[in-house]
Amino acid sequence: MDIVDLARLQFALTAGAHFLFVALTLGLATLVAVIQTRATFSGDPVHLGMTRFWGQLYIINYAMGIVTGLVMEFQLGLSWSGLTSYAGDVFGAALAIETLVAFFVESTFLGLWIFGWNKLNRWAHLALIWVVTLTAYASAFWIMVANGFLQHPVGYVLDGGRLRLTDFGAMVANPAAQVAFLHVLSGAMVVGGFFVAGVSAYHLSRRTVAQDLFRKSLRIGVGVALPALLVTATFGGMGFETLQPAKAAAWVNDAVQLAAVQAGMAAELGPGDYLPSVGAVRAGGLVMMVLFALMLFVAGPSFLLMLIRPVVRGFRLWHWLLTLMIPVPFVAMLGGWVFREMGRQPWAVYGLLRTSDAMSPVSEGQMLFSLTAFVTVFAVLIAINCWLLARHARRGPGAVALGDRPIEAPVPVPSF
Amino acid sequence: MEIFILGFFAIGYLVLAGADIGVGMALPYLGRSGGERREVIAAIAPFFLGNEVWLVATAGVLAGLFPKLEGELLHGNYTVVVTLLLAWVVRDMGLWLRGRVPGPRWAAFWDGAIVAGSWGLALSWGTLLSHVLIGLQGPVALLPALVLAALFLTHGLSFASLRLRGSLRERAAVLAGGAGQAGTYALTAAALVAVGVLAGLRLPLEPGTSGPLLVPVVLTLIPFLVAAQAWVWWTFRHRVSGPSYL
Repeated sequence: MDIVDLARLQFALTAGAHFLFVALTLGLATLVAVIQTRATFSGDPVHLGMTRFWGQLYIINYAMGIVTGLVMEFQLGLSWSGLTSYAGDVFGAALAIETLVAFFVESTFLGLWIFGWNKLNRWAHLALIWVVTLTAYASAFWIMVANGFLQHPVGYVLDGGRLRLTDFGAMVANPAAQVAFLHVLSGAMVVGGFFVAGVSAYHLSRRTVAQDLFRKSLRIGVGVALPALLVTATFGGMGFETLQPAKAAAWVNDAVQLAAVQAGMAAELGPGDYLPSVGAVRAGGLVMMVLFALMLFVAGPSFLLMLIRPVVRGFRLWHWLLTLMIPVPFVAMLGGWVFREMGRQPWAVYGLLRTSDAMSPVSEGQMLFSLTAFVTVFAVLIAINCWLLARHARRGPGAVALGDRPIEAPVPVPSF
Repeated sequence: MEIFILGFFAIGYLVLAGADIGVGMALPYLGRSGGERREVIAAIAPFFLGNEVWLVATAGVLAGLFPKLEGELLHGNYTVVVTLLLAWVVRDMGLWLRGRVPGPRWAAFWDGAIVAGSWGLALSWGTLLSHVLIGLQGPVALLPALVLAALFLTHGLSFASLRLRGSLRERAAVLAGGAGQAGTYALTAAALVAVGVLAGLRLPLEPGTSGPLLVPVVLTLIPFLVAAQAWVWWTFRHRVSGPSYL
């Protein structure tokens, strides 16, 4: 492996890990916000218990999303300064807006939501989770605007060897960004829906005492997963119309088409290898589509089964199937991501900047150090957090720490 | 105006998150038992998410308004920045995870992660800033780095003395001399602002070309961001009266 491969591997592992946690964050935040809305209106203890239980899992997951996201953000300047100095004046604007509109507000209000439980007015507390959810969407939106630019650059001119933004509207309206954003967002709802349905099914199969809580949760999970699957597939289909020619040729694996793309780009840009890895593109795309079929095959009948209360309570085989399905949408997400990102190689900015020219001038030793350190730390932390997610999911609503403490401040003393 | 925006977020980070770093560094001194440490952490718990995000914003502003400098600053200090990120991740995970499993050994292990991560953050910042400020690199940079780490520590102690009660507060106030607790916090905060300003003066702050578009957007956002943060500080303005969620 040369240093570019190491840097790519480092970014891919960070982004891949981040993507998994973020997908669940987007899906689960939405469901928690919906559940808390019902709880706030009804005051029903079952709904309140649901909010706390799913909220706790959301927070465990969120913490991992945030730390992988930090490392990813800084990696752009660390390893890919060729990209930031060449195109940063354009897609950096989307990243800047993301950090301020989305990340900043999301973190600030999430802290208030967690620590302000039982302390804030309940309507204000409800408003917080909605702001957190909407800013999570905004975050995904602006990241996809940045990514969409790298996939399909629009709204720029080349000026003195660097790109300059000329049309902000065109960059935001880029179909390679918009369609992909809606595809990823609905995909995240699939992840969240199957997660909630699977965990609920586990508890129902164990004849939990909190049967109402998990019966309602299972319905919400399946009820979100099925329509979200159809929406995801629709936007995925539309996304095929925005594919770069090389990615499209690699996907169908047509020798004539591949040769035509290669010849066209070589004629325009000079000699070089302009084709992505056909194997990676096809594998990623196939994983995504096969798993989509599997999810649809499970979610469709589940949608009917969940309407029958005794079945929701007692059909154990179905419970086990739903629990086993929890990882499937995550793998599909990764498949789609490999398809999209491997398919744009060898370009960092499609048609403009090659990945090998986007690297920072760092040494192989430095790259090996950071790769080893990040992989080690993240492998350990991801293992611990997945174990904790499973542990807290298994233990049920009785053991939730989030929001269980009444305010115990008899005489508050202002500290500043 | 680009420079003002960058400075606003960078200095905001140093002052606000600097206190969290300092409290983490002083955790073994302030909290002698697991229960005490949990109460000490409650002093920063509601704020640390909203504080560290000032650095995320700084990186975003660098990426959008100073893309060339972002690359030079980060890859030019590759090992230090990577260490800083690792320390940051370890500190945050310590905070999140310490209460997730009952039992003193689990909490003590993650308390160790908080302390190690906080020292790692302070020393990485110290090393990075001394490189920017006085051009020192290598082992000799450890000396100014220690000075800056001591500044973070003092800042954290003064913040803790404003947030804690009883014996914890007395321990935190050990360095507060004639200036009083609020006065000490103001002094350490002013010192961190000075460090930030001086570092900024030493950097080649040459904005990219997206300023005309991005600057008005950011300037419009800033009041809302400050208001959101103010709500957090107002909500948790009282002294810590017991353990928090973490």
